Amino acid sequence: MRISIVARPKPRVSPAVIVVLAALALDAAAPAPAADVGPTYAIRGCRIVPVAGPAIEKGVIVIRDGLIESLGPAGKVRIPDDAEIIEAEGLQAYPGLITAFSSLFLERPARSAGPEIPFEGPPPAAAQGTREDTFPPGPGLFVLDQLKPSRAAVESFHRAGFTTALVAPERGIFEGQSVILDLNGEALLPMVIRNGAALHVNFTTERGAYPSSLMGTIAHIRQSFIDAEYYAARQAQYAKGAAGLKRPAYDPRLEALVPFVRDRRPVVFQCNNVEDIKRALKIIAEFKLNALLAGANEAWRAADVLGKAPVPLLVGLDFRPPAASRYTTQGEELRKKAESAIYPANAAELAKAGLPFALVSGANADGTAVLKAVRAAIGAGLAEEAALRALTIQPARFLGLDQALGTLEPGKIANVVLVRGGLFDEKVRVVRVFVDGVRFDYETEEASK
Amino acid sequence: MKNLALPLPRAAAILALAGFVVAFGPRPAAADGGDILIRNGTILTVTKGVIARGDILVLGGVIKAIGPDLAAPPGVRAVDAAGRFVVPGLIDSHTHIAVAGTNEGSEAITPEADVGAVVNADDASILTALSGGVTMVHTMHGSANPIGGPNVVLKMKWGRPSEELVVAEALPTLKFALGENVKQANRTVAAGRERRYPATRMGANAVIRRELEKARNYMARWDRYKKAAAAKNPPRTLVPPKKDLRLEVLAEMLRGERVARCHSYQATETLEFMGLAREFGFKIQCFEHCWEGYKIAGEIAAAGIGISGFADNWAYKMEAAEGIAEMAGYCARKGVLVSINSDSGERIRRLFNDAAKTMKYGGLSEDEALRLVTINPAIQLGVDRIVGSLEVGKQCDVAIFSGHPLSAYARCDMTIIEGRVYFDREALAREREAAAPAAAAAREVGGLQ
Repeated sequence: MRISIVARPKPRVSPAVIVVLAALALDAAAPAPAADVGPTYAIRGCRIVPVAGPAIEKGVIVIRDGLIESLGPAGKVRIPDDAEIIEAEGLQAYPGLITAFSSLFLERPARSAGPEIPFEGPPPAAAQGTREDTFPPGPGLFVLDQLKPSRAAVESFHRAGFTTALVAPERGIFEGQSVILDLNGEALLPMVIRNGAALHVNFTTERGAYPSSLMGTIAHIRQSFIDAEYYAARQAQYAKGAAGLKRPAYDPRLEALVPFVRDRRPVVFQCNNVEDIKRALKIIAEFKLNALLAGANEAWRAADVLGKAPVPLLVGLDFRPPAASRYTTQGEELRKKAESAIYPANAAELAKAGLPFALVSGANADGTAVLKAVRAAIGAGLAEEAALRALTIQPARFLGLDQALGTLEPGKIANVVLVRGGLFDEKVRVVRVFVDGVRFDYETEEASK
Repeated sequence: MKNLALPLPRAAAILALAGFVVAFGPRPAAADGGDILIRNGTILTVTKGVIARGDILVLGGVIKAIGPDLAAPPGVRAVDAAGRFVVPGLIDSHTHIAVAGTNEGSEAITPEADVGAVVNADDASILTALSGGVTMVHTMHGSANPIGGPNVVLKMKWGRPSEELVVAEALPTLKFALGENVKQANRTVAAGRERRYPATRMGANAVIRRELEKARNYMARWDRYKKAAAAKNPPRTLVPPKKDLRLEVLAEMLRGERVARCHSYQATETLEFMGLAREFGFKIQCFEHCWEGYKIAGEIAAAGIGISGFADNWAYKMEAAEGIAEMAGYCARKGVLVSINSDSGERIRRLFNDAAKTMKYGGLSEDEALRLVTINPAIQLGVDRIVGSLEVGKQCDVAIFSGHPLSAYARCDMTIIEGRVYFDREALAREREAAAPAAAAAREVGGLQ
């Protein structure tokens, strides 16, 4: 735990001194002095839901320089002298919610609202010369390069309790690589927790070009991984001894795929229906990938096969049955029932089956709508406790970030959400949000009365 | 339900459940464990003659006994087929149902595009097939490409997960196509895109030959590599060939592990394709449609090739102009293994009507005509050991018709697969009747008049 290594606020010093101090710090492993030391806060009097353990009534959370320094019952936590005290009586503190699959800050071309499988292809003539054009999809694409952060988008997510988001690319079959962001302001780069977080693959088709059918797409995905494995093996063989070997040709596309087939870096398959899940599982087994499944709103229908090969599920909260589903084609009555009762129960069924899942915002850019959908999942049988874990510690684990995020514990990043009411109550109000220890206030004095 | 002899008061409940599940449910179609006793029906065994009045006992999905007055173990459901005709479940040797996408039409040669990878168990055509007594289909790649992709054999287990539909025992097949569909695929292309090769019949033959040559070379490269790698001290610079999914499938066919199913209309192209098979040593299992098969029936029969054709509707396009309604019956009499196919998610429910047409056009007997949609397609698909006729030891795939299945007045009342009821016309009617008041109430409130 990093609890003891905290930077003390210091008087302003010249950059030269900082360099010297930094060098000393490295030598002596002393607390690292930084040019920008975040403020210290003591949140006092709130009920703490740490997720890591039982709730604490009337607790205190001390935040120093972006990390949680300490937390516990009011009497047991010393409030530092330099802390700005934030009175939070009547409020509840939760870990910042994590959506492990979103399209936050992504501008997308207008698309029909129906539940159809996204159809990707070359940009239409009207879009020539736009951003779409400059970033053709492919395994080497970093979605980070396409993002346009906005205060409104951050606020919309904060107001639903989200402080961390994985942003996934969303065009093409090999869509590119995602980025994980901590929503700590408006500037993009300071938000980045990890770029190239995962490779994203979608079972879609290319308009008028190969592959134009789903079966072609599956062959294309498999052949690409075969080619990448072969490419890696040839490069390795050549690196070991070039004499007598023809130099392998450089291929940027395969080069980008190599870490995912050779080094088991994570691959996320977008699964638009129950069959996509089975298709993905076959590919995962064939290439021994370290994979996650996203979307998966019919995952309960594949519970049997998922039980045999547990893969982390990033379960979307889109309750519309897929276009070709029996729940869509057997009449309007069943479709409505499916959307209102059957699909919202997906998460509850997965919990019952003991399958690991996180709940994700997906393409939904409206934070409160995401929370509303979480409430629908709870209404359909998902325990609140399970829902909370699926939005905090579970995604943190899936993303390999559980040392730093996902619960309220000393040493973790200070992502804290203060709400009036229960997080999953219909009338919940997000009062304040801390992200990386940066404070955002969302409730005015009048509103709180 | 009048044709059921259920000793239990639970009868109504079971029926209601079966009806609901057949229509909508994601659960198994019937929870009777594959055990069933079909009583007092006229049994058309297809291979062992007609039993005017007899019973079929099924345990664990397999036919245990056929004969008069059989007794079932306690608890086994009994279906009274008195006055009805019990026939083997019909088999459609050529369809495109229960898949997501039919053609990988972007390129002419796509053996990597595997239909088995895109099965969609939610396709309502499965229900349509069941309503016509069809229990098994050969779902094929479309005819847009000279070499399409591998096909899949499915049982029509509506409500069961996709992997349970796939018939693993079936012969692996690969779709080929000749003639106009191949020539005219991608006839209109977007500006700036080249029209796809081939655009003529001679081109189709040439491109298939070229690809088979490639596959031969590919196999030879692997053979050379394996030989070198197995040597005592393989050279450090030995490089394996790259695995190519497209050529792997063709290699399977050239090694005899997969058979060709070739869409052909005209006699000339059909003979030319037989020439290719002789040249490269692969097995043609069946010609599809084969409208001019009657001109070369002797050659086709001598080569041990089957025909999967239509019963009528000839001359619907120029290349079918010399098709005749007598084709199927004539070729069957000439010793060709003929089956009648639907090639359609709608006509599939009238496959038995189509089979009957060969009696009028072609002069086949009842027995011969029935073979065209039962044991003959089973032989074509390599599954005649397990289905296609009613014999002890075979899987119990059965259709119960209200009259003789070759009568224009007959309809299918019940369809059973491996001893489970997947279609029950009367239960379904009941279910609809029960649902009618609710639907009517909705109409009274408003909506379309």
